[in-house]
Amino acid sequence: MTINLLLLSILFLPLIGAFFNGIVGKYLSKSIVGTIATGVMFIAFFLSFVLFTKLNGPEVYSLFSVIQLSDFSLNFSLQADTLSVWMTMIVTGVGALIHLFSMGYMHEDKGYYKFFTYLNLFVFAMLILVLGSNYFMLFFGWEGVGICSYLLIGFHYSDEQKGLANSLAARKAFIMNRIGDLGLLIALFMILAQFGTLEYRELAEKMSLADLSVSTWVMFGITLCLFIGATGKSAQIPLFTWLPDAMAGPTPVSALIHAATMVTAGIFLVVRSNFFFEKAPHTQEIILYIGLATSLIAAFIAIKQNDIKKVLAYSTVSQLGFIFVSLGMGGYVAAMFHVSTHAFFKALLFLGSGSVIHAMHHEQDIRKMGALKKYIPITHITFLIGTLAIAGFPFLSGFFSKDEILAHALHHNFVIYILLAFSAMLTAIYMFRLYFLVFHGEFRGSDHQKSHLHESPLNMTLPLMILAVLSVIGGVLNLPSLFGEGISHWFTHLLKQTDGLAAVADIHLVQSKIIILMLTASIVTIVALIFTYILYVKKQSRPVEDNQLTGWSKLSFNKLYFDEIYHFLFVKPIELLSELTHNILDVSILNKSFYKVAYAFNHSGQLIRKWQNGIVSSYLLWMVIGIVVMLFYYLIKK
Amino acid sequence: MELLVIPLVLAIISGFATKQLLKYLALFGTLLTFLLIAYRSWEYFGSSELVTLYSLNASSAFKCSFHLAYDGITLLMLLLNGIIFPLLVLAYYHTKWINNNRFVSMMFLMQFALIGVFLSMDVLLFYVFWEITLIPIFLIAYWFGSGERKKALIKFFIFTFVGSLAMLFSIIYLGSFTNSFNYSDVVSLGLTKEVAVWVMFGFLIAFAVKAPIFPLHSWQPDTYVSSPSPGTILLSALMLKMALYGMVRWMIPLAPEAIEVFRYPVIILSIIGIIYAAIIAIRLDDIKRVFAYASISHVGLIAGGIMIFTKDSLYASFLQMLNHGLIALALFMSAGILEERLQTRSLAQMGGVAKLAPRFAMFFAIIAFASVSVPFSMGFVGEFLLLKEIYSFSWISGLLAGTTLILGAIYTLRAYQLSMFSAPKISEFKDLHFNEWLVYIKISILLVVLGLFPHFIFDLVGPSIDKLLDSVFTINLLK
Repeated sequence: MTINLLLLSILFLPLIGAFFNGIVGKYLSKSIVGTIATGVMFIAFFLSFVLFTKLNGPEVYSLFSVIQLSDFSLNFSLQADTLSVWMTMIVTGVGALIHLFSMGYMHEDKGYYKFFTYLNLFVFAMLILVLGSNYFMLFFGWEGVGICSYLLIGFHYSDEQKGLANSLAARKAFIMNRIGDLGLLIALFMILAQFGTLEYRELAEKMSLADLSVSTWVMFGITLCLFIGATGKSAQIPLFTWLPDAMAGPTPVSALIHAATMVTAGIFLVVRSNFFFEKAPHTQEIILYIGLATSLIAAFIAIKQNDIKKVLAYSTVSQLGFIFVSLGMGGYVAAMFHVSTHAFFKALLFLGSGSVIHAMHHEQDIRKMGALKKYIPITHITFLIGTLAIAGFPFLSGFFSKDEILAHALHHNFVIYILLAFSAMLTAIYMFRLYFLVFHGEFRGSDHQKSHLHESPLNMTLPLMILAVLSVIGGVLNLPSLFGEGISHWFTHLLKQTDGLAAVADIHLVQSKIIILMLTASIVTIVALIFTYILYVKKQSRPVEDNQLTGWSKLSFNKLYFDEIYHFLFVKPIELLSELTHNILDVSILNKSFYKVAYAFNHSGQLIRKWQNGIVSSYLLWMVIGIVVMLFYYLIKK
Repeated sequence: MELLVIPLVLAIISGFATKQLLKYLALFGTLLTFLLIAYRSWEYFGSSELVTLYSLNASSAFKCSFHLAYDGITLLMLLLNGIIFPLLVLAYYHTKWINNNRFVSMMFLMQFALIGVFLSMDVLLFYVFWEITLIPIFLIAYWFGSGERKKALIKFFIFTFVGSLAMLFSIIYLGSFTNSFNYSDVVSLGLTKEVAVWVMFGFLIAFAVKAPIFPLHSWQPDTYVSSPSPGTILLSALMLKMALYGMVRWMIPLAPEAIEVFRYPVIILSIIGIIYAAIIAIRLDDIKRVFAYASISHVGLIAGGIMIFTKDSLYASFLQMLNHGLIALALFMSAGILEERLQTRSLAQMGGVAKLAPRFAMFFAIIAFASVSVPFSMGFVGEFLLLKEIYSFSWISGLLAGTTLILGAIYTLRAYQLSMFSAPKISEFKDLHFNEWLVYIKISILLVVLGLFPHFIFDLVGPSIDKLLDSVFTINLLK
């Protein structure tokens, strides 16, 4: 198969799956629907792997042009290079596993076929986003994943208790994303105005010219607007509050869209646009600080959350912040490396939590769990692996990918390194807290739940096992140079073939520094492990009731009151503005003034009517007055 | 010529037809017109010539001629017209409206007048047809409307009539500089700037009322709300397009010398309108009113695009006009379905419909998303291009107009959320009829296909737009 054909098949397989299930899925049995949806994903993954092996150098394949006008055209075209194909492999690979998991997880759901339609559709949109060869395609996919996200967050809109909350969460996600989208759109217009094209390759070439005559302000504007777009999709401050709410969606959705793939779109965007960001140091600095703040704040909030999915959601926000710090320092490869490992272990953790929730009869509160390791052993082991990987336990995938970002930070600025390491420690603490509360101690749920505890079927545990293996060995993708020239930095060499990334300077730390880094990271993780073990297993500390929280715990539990502050600062004023505009400006002032004009005619008519009173003597009087006036006029004129 | 004769004859016949015949007349009559228009468009594709259908030089005293002709722009408007009417009949096939002689008759009269407006190549003739459109829509709203319709209709009438008078004054004033009102004669007059400003001003008032452009919109929500839903569809999907079409066809080519004077004010007003109407739509309770204000907001973007008057902005404006027409049909039809089955338009009284009528919920969602211009819908390309043009006109206006992305999502999803998802207050809701389903599916397919391949539209209108731009700019250059 040629590269073009491979690209086409990878892109359109999920769409075909979506179409098929969307149209005839209603009449088919669940196993057929699920198999088709999952099947196309596995084939797509296999094809992306073939594509990956065949790849040499970036290639662009233009299908047709959506708009062709005199001075520019917007093409529906695909680009195969190491970055896009790597992302494709993650999207289809992790996606396929999550599809497989969903076959078990959603089995009792009435909207089974609809679910798989949306899920396939999402993958299609995501593939457009990563495989497109220009910003227009990216925007196309960008908005597309937003809709699928909306549909899937609000999937259980008809739920008796949570239906309303689900649909509201979906709406919030869509609107917050749209704020970012406006930034992205403006960035696109700026790029068009400046360079006259949206194609990545042409732009990269133009940007690499020595005599680049673009003012720093324009570069700052373009990159800042791109980054605003990224904050929306990748849930960074200030647009991050939608992601925790998005957990209202079914758990596989949280795993696929709100952890492994869609939320990394913002990172992909920045890596893709590295040639712009490298020329805009101010924006890089902004990204660095926003990422750092997001990482710390989200980690802080995660510590006191009691909903298993909320903990993971804030963890995702925090990890994304972590990655943005790396981007702010020009560590594009490190960022993509962490995106990849994060996709493995975060998908694993979410699916694991799905398995837990499945076993617990849709219970998500960790205060009602405990001692689950006895009942669901496979879920337990894989969840443990995921926890260790995200916490940065030595030699698991998260350890290496985090370390690379920390190395960048150490190279960049010591304070940032300390803060990042602190964020990493918080990560370890809340993840181990979650793990111990769920799987250790005593069972705190109802007897009914206890009697139904069961391990999930194979189609749910198999993805867990595969992802667990990946979470363990994912680090070998990009081992530090410590491990010998031959096997280290494979991923770095790979991504350097993407446009622009070759020009980005590497950081080189001396061996001793690398070893100190690794040691510190390991010690931090192990200390966190011991600390949480003592607290939650030995001392049997349990989360207290919501209303008994005080001080910083209360702050953490209430998410630093971000939602309330936004409500007060933005939602209420806009609602008020809307009502005022309608009631005062539109109805009272505009509308009334038009009525005034109408009444003025009416009144003048009333006035003039008084002359026509039908009394002959009055008419005569006016006639005389008229004649007198006329006579006077002619007299004066003479 | 048959394009005009058929609807007129049908309008007369359907006034007396029996009930059974009436339905067939309505359906097949509108379908026939659609086919004729589609055939002509197919033949025309790629050309930029003005094709004359009928020409009769009337008395020279009036300087008026009965000249009907079309080019790509006209054909697009006719196509929209041709698509909307059969869909309208189909959507309301089983309702009281299509069973009513007066309604069907007025509907055909409306189609006749609209086709006349678009085909007229004589400015006085254009004015005549423009005024005729007022009669059927007024009567439809008066006979079949609800609520405070009399008050609303008087307001509607006065607004549009004052606008039309302004246009008439402009035409009369223009008449003192020309011997013929024929299109080719009046666009090559080469007026002085002073004259041109007055000519354009009169037309602008008429079109700004009809479109409507802020602040002349206050008739629109009231009229939309008090009209029956097919009447609202006619108003929104078709009638306001006359104004936008008129701006491109008549207002600017007649007095291109004045465009510099009005460009900034109109664009600024359009952008104010976009934001103003969108903000109001956020908190309204009446679903029809929400869509009425949404329409003002969307039209603001198109009007702004037209006033920028570049190639790209005009291409996008016409694409967006077609898009807006289709979406207006589907949105007001959805609002009509909700109103008819729930006996209320208040969003607070609705809720839980999605569960009871999943098919309706799905199509309503598709239309709602299409109206916020998501990818795979026609609005995506149109809005992208329009915003790009407004952005390159001035970045601040691009940014302000771009807020429609956010505000549009807020009010549309709010209306959808409240009507479809929020706590159910009803226990029964009949899902779509086959007819309604058919209409939705046709519109959805059109929106998606043209969203991916908008060049079908660009190929139809493009050459004519290029020609129009050429002629306008050469006149400007010669002076």
